[in-house]
Amino acid sequence: MSESSVKVIEDSKLIEELDGKAKLRKWLNMNFRIEMTDGRVLIGIFLCTDRDANVILGACSEHQKSIDGETEEPRVLGLVMVPGRHIVSIQLDDTTPPSKYYYDE
Amino acid sequence: MYTTLHKCYNLCKGFFRMTMDSLPTTPEVTYNWVDITTDFFKHIQDLELGELLHDGHLFGLFEAMSAIEMMDPKMDAGMLCNRGNPKPFNFQQAVECGKLKIDDLEPSEIIGVIDATVACIVSWLEGHSLAQTVFTNLYLHQPHSIINKTLKAFCIAVYKLLDCIRDCINKAQVFEEEDFLPIGYGYRLGSNPQVGNTYNANLEVSEQKCIAMLREQEEELNKKARSQEDETNELWMALAARIRFTRMFYQALLLITRRDSQSGADCVALLNGCSEMMKVIIRTVGKGTQPLEKSDSPNPMGFEPMVNQRLLPPTFPRYTRIKPRAEALQYCDELVTRLRHAWKITSATNFHTALDFFMEFSRHRACILSRSALQLLYLSPSPGATASTLLAGAGPQRPHAFLDILRDSVRSFVNPPSLAVKLAGANPPAREFVENFLLRCVRPFAMLVQVCGHNRARQRDKIAVLLDDFAALQEEAESVDALVSGALCTVLRPYFTTWILYHVLRLMIAYLLSGLELELYSVHEYHYIFWYLYEFLYGWLVSALGRAEGLASETRKADVKKSGVRKQKKRTRPYAREGLMCQVMQNMCGGYYKALVAFKLQGKLRQPQSEFDNEAVRYKHRFAPLSVLTPPQVHYHEFLELTQPLQYENPVILYLGGCKLFQQARSLLETISIPDHEVNDLLKVAKTNFVVLKLLAGGHKQDSTVPPEFDFSVHRHFPIIKLV
Repeated sequence: MSESSVKVIEDSKLIEELDGKAKLRKWLNMNFRIEMTDGRVLIGIFLCTDRDANVILGACSEHQKSIDGETEEPRVLGLVMVPGRHIVSIQLDDTTPPSKYYYDE
Repeated sequence: MYTTLHKCYNLCKGFFRMTMDSLPTTPEVTYNWVDITTDFFKHIQDLELGELLHDGHLFGLFEAMSAIEMMDPKMDAGMLCNRGNPKPFNFQQAVECGKLKIDDLEPSEIIGVIDATVACIVSWLEGHSLAQTVFTNLYLHQPHSIINKTLKAFCIAVYKLLDCIRDCINKAQVFEEEDFLPIGYGYRLGSNPQVGNTYNANLEVSEQKCIAMLREQEEELNKKARSQEDETNELWMALAARIRFTRMFYQALLLITRRDSQSGADCVALLNGCSEMMKVIIRTVGKGTQPLEKSDSPNPMGFEPMVNQRLLPPTFPRYTRIKPRAEALQYCDELVTRLRHAWKITSATNFHTALDFFMEFSRHRACILSRSALQLLYLSPSPGATASTLLAGAGPQRPHAFLDILRDSVRSFVNPPSLAVKLAGANPPAREFVENFLLRCVRPFAMLVQVCGHNRARQRDKIAVLLDDFAALQEEAESVDALVSGALCTVLRPYFTTWILYHVLRLMIAYLLSGLELELYSVHEYHYIFWYLYEFLYGWLVSALGRAEGLASETRKADVKKSGVRKQKKRTRPYAREGLMCQVMQNMCGGYYKALVAFKLQGKLRQPQSEFDNEAVRYKHRFAPLSVLTPPQVHYHEFLELTQPLQYENPVILYLGGCKLFQQARSLLETISIPDHEVNDLLKVAKTNFVVLKLLAGGHKQDSTVPPEFDFSVHRHFPIIKLV
């Protein structure tokens, strides 16, 4: 990463556009909503990821998508790792800025 | 594996709950979801292979390790719910769509449901969760809504029975997580069989009512059976037998759990009845509807294996295979036999007999329910409860039943004058010393009984812990002996010391032998295990028994002299057989030891590579729990010194020596007039090994370095040596 990042730093405007890591880092500790290949939806705090899009969510709960629209009570899972190959879509909750979790009282 | 994961999960849950709790809690969370799928997948490409993106302060690799992996069938309990199957029906839905009949059931259908439920109960007793076994039966979700009276009575009885079983097992406290899962998952067991939060007092069913309901059905079914001429009458008979079994089993278990001494004869009669009925049930197992081939459901109607999947914790053994019907019924039959056998403990008059009974019972690897029942039958409250109430410092407010048992045990074992009946009240201080000491003994001895109830693998660890407690008792025993002889002005005699020593030695032997049974030792370790047993423990035990007999007869003689009556009684030796068995074992251990040394000398045993080998360390670990007690532990350097000469011995001489010892064991065993199973097994082992060692001494396979095999199939501790 040495050469490419040096170049990136030269143009500060490009940083945001090019360095995906920085973007990902901004999303840390925000709420994620991940739909899996089997239709279940997981909602939890984004804690960790890697190049294969394996995602770790904290305080995660599992929501069952039911056909007839009725919503079942979510099941609390805690800490989970979602393998990247099972992720269908990822959504981000932008109502609460992440800083709130840790720097507010 | 499951527990570790589960613990991690709980830890993490706690961690996240902490961070979450600091938030102002809003009654309704509103989200504003923005899709970032494409961005996310684009950004992650900037990460190196194997690089983790995370908040270094709050989350690291360690936390990452404890995450549950989704979509992994081994970790993800929710996954199976969705595998192509439609959502499982609940009771109401299944009834509405006609999948579940609650009225007009054919007798074969009811038999099918009952047998499948029994299979589920057995699976539960083998350590699976209720949610994945018994409560996959939809009928049990709303037993009061069932219209068919037979099935309704059965379903309600199942609730009561489960509650009774759980009560029994909880009281006895001899289970570990691998034996039994008591969690009810929101199903209300006990007096009010219903599901969920709805509570309806009208649906309360007392024990008597439940039994009456079953009895009524029994009569009804018998009537039906009699009125029919064709082969359907057999169906009704089969059904009646099942209901009758349920009732009698429930009643018997209630009596055991309550431990009502008045009801002894009843309980035996009920259990005998259960056995009778079980014969009929097993014979008619084909009469009920059978599970479909390749189906996970134990019966075509009434069972939804996945119905409770979402009640389970996130990391849970995902899937439970219900025991096949025929095997489950066999299990029930044996369970009843075991309970009938356990009942015999009630006639065990002294502690030593009872303890032997417990050990013998455990040897057969009995199931959790029968092990628990045995505990409750022996002592009420159970030995486990006895031990823990004393631990909690409830104190010796009231004389304990177990205290009397222990007092009798000492009396019959060494018969100390301080416990002589005549002396009662004559010498208050001596009396008090003894009583205090016995009170101190209650906890360790109750624990000893409790340990015997645990599964075989757990017993080993628990014995090691128990040895510490007994070490403390040994010291106290010595001072009590001294104090009492001072108070009574008699010669110092080791009455209580001998009694404790006897139990300590037995525990030590049990500890070492359990390693053989559990296959914990490598073959190259056998020699010092057998050496220790041969040279020390069995020898000490024989002399402890001899000393006890001597002490007991001494007091008796003194009594005879005092009373002036000179009755020339036949000298009884109550521990003759036990002493003899000890000698047998001692000789056998000696035989193994000599053979093992000879094998080693001839290069027939695989030894560890020298750089990985440290015999001193292994020796120390193997005998570590024995290090705290009065028969002093024999240390490794002593072992080396004592066994040095043998290292230069001619293997042939060693084989002959071993041969002689097995021969000795054999002739001792043959003096036993009424040989039991154990004696016959040992005899077989001793005979075979005698022949094998004789062959070896004669030079058979002298040059072969193929290691001999040790076959534990005949006896769990003493293997047959096989030359390959």
